[in-house]
Amino acid sequence: MATEVTLRRFDLSDVDAMMAWASDPEVAAFCRWAPFASTETEALLAHIRDTALSHQWYRAICLAGDARPVGSVSLEPTADPCRGELGYVVARAHWGRGVATAAVRAALAAVFGEVEGLARVEALVDVDNAASQRVAEKAGFRREGVLRRHYWHKGRVRDLVVYGFVSGDPLPPSHEDEVCKPLTRLGLVRPASHSVQRTRLGDRWSEKRQPGRRSARTR
Amino acid sequence: MEQQRREPAPETEVTLREFTEADAEALFAWASDPRVVLFQRREAYARVDEARRYILDHVLPHPWYRAICLGAVVVGSISVKPCGPAGEEGEGASRASLGYRVAHGHWGRGVATRAVRMAAAAAFAEWPWLARLEAVADVENPASQRVLEKAGFVREGVLRRYVVLKGRPRDMVMFSLVDSDRDERAKPKLLLQVKEPFELNKE
Repeated sequence: MATEVTLRRFDLSDVDAMMAWASDPEVAAFCRWAPFASTETEALLAHIRDTALSHQWYRAICLAGDARPVGSVSLEPTADPCRGELGYVVARAHWGRGVATAAVRAALAAVFGEVEGLARVEALVDVDNAASQRVAEKAGFRREGVLRRHYWHKGRVRDLVVYGFVSGDPLPPSHEDEVCKPLTRLGLVRPASHSVQRTRLGDRWSEKRQPGRRSARTR
Repeated sequence: MEQQRREPAPETEVTLREFTEADAEALFAWASDPRVVLFQRREAYARVDEARRYILDHVLPHPWYRAICLGAVVVGSISVKPCGPAGEEGEGASRASLGYRVAHGHWGRGVATRAVRMAAAAAFAEWPWLARLEAVADVENPASQRVLEKAGFVREGVLRRYVVLKGRPRDMVMFSLVDSDRDERAKPKLLLQVKEPFELNKE
């Protein structure tokens, strides 16, 4: 059964929770950023301010019934306005429980309605990162190929598997599909309602995008 | 692209050189042709002045943009653009992307294939940081896909809704030529074949 997660915007008060994964070298191993030292709270606060809060689409991953985030999922601009690149990270204590899969699935379900002009979401995963490849596949991405010698990361040039998800692709059932909707139909639970805040793939997107530079997380 | 039986251009005739403003009319010849710009982002040019502006604003400041010449005649263009800040680690640092256009009258003669091979060799020779040269071709542009294959690029897959062309997201076939492809080709081929079976270490 799918794990239940919610996605919400970050707040500065999330800094302690974020430090759990931001300071973990095992989490950072395949990521494009270097881990923070656990004492670098100020630096991580600045990172939240400059990146998570001002980013076009950057969400905290929360488990059901828990306000503290256990990871993040974000959409990065690319050279083309119709496509964004999804990044996702979960604290090591919550690996192996379907959290990242549920979060990525929720992101794919939400992001086309919230980012104007978006036609494609892609994920680029190191060929040696089998766990992250499984997340992408189970969340609904389609494996499209391997981009050879694509990314210079921590001293080596890496091959990356490219996954694509386009508007209209089928999504696997979520926790809501498997549990909440049947309960709603039986009248046991009120349907959830949420407002969708739509952003424009315009000024803020291109402001963040510097030629050849990633706006988020690289140090 | 129509299937045309044409004389292939002799390989020695195809050369690459830098553009000058004086090439505006030649560039206009293909940049105004809807058949050539069909799979490009921009619409066809209507005036030579647009081609002149393009040379001044885009071609001359470009990191690597060359005119494809058949003898003395400019018949197309080819460009290679680094994807990121060269020599620094991070996004785009080890790769560059290649694009090309040839006037319709010279299609089917191997001109683009020759130009791509020459541009690829030049890029790897000039940029020691280059590990990957990539190029995309629209899924509905098999002629361009063949050019890249014949030039030695490897087809990696179809990236769906990858780029916006003329306002619509298009599926693109991704091709690449990487440093290890070129190293492989440079190695002398093994001429001897082992006829008798031999035993490797039994571990």
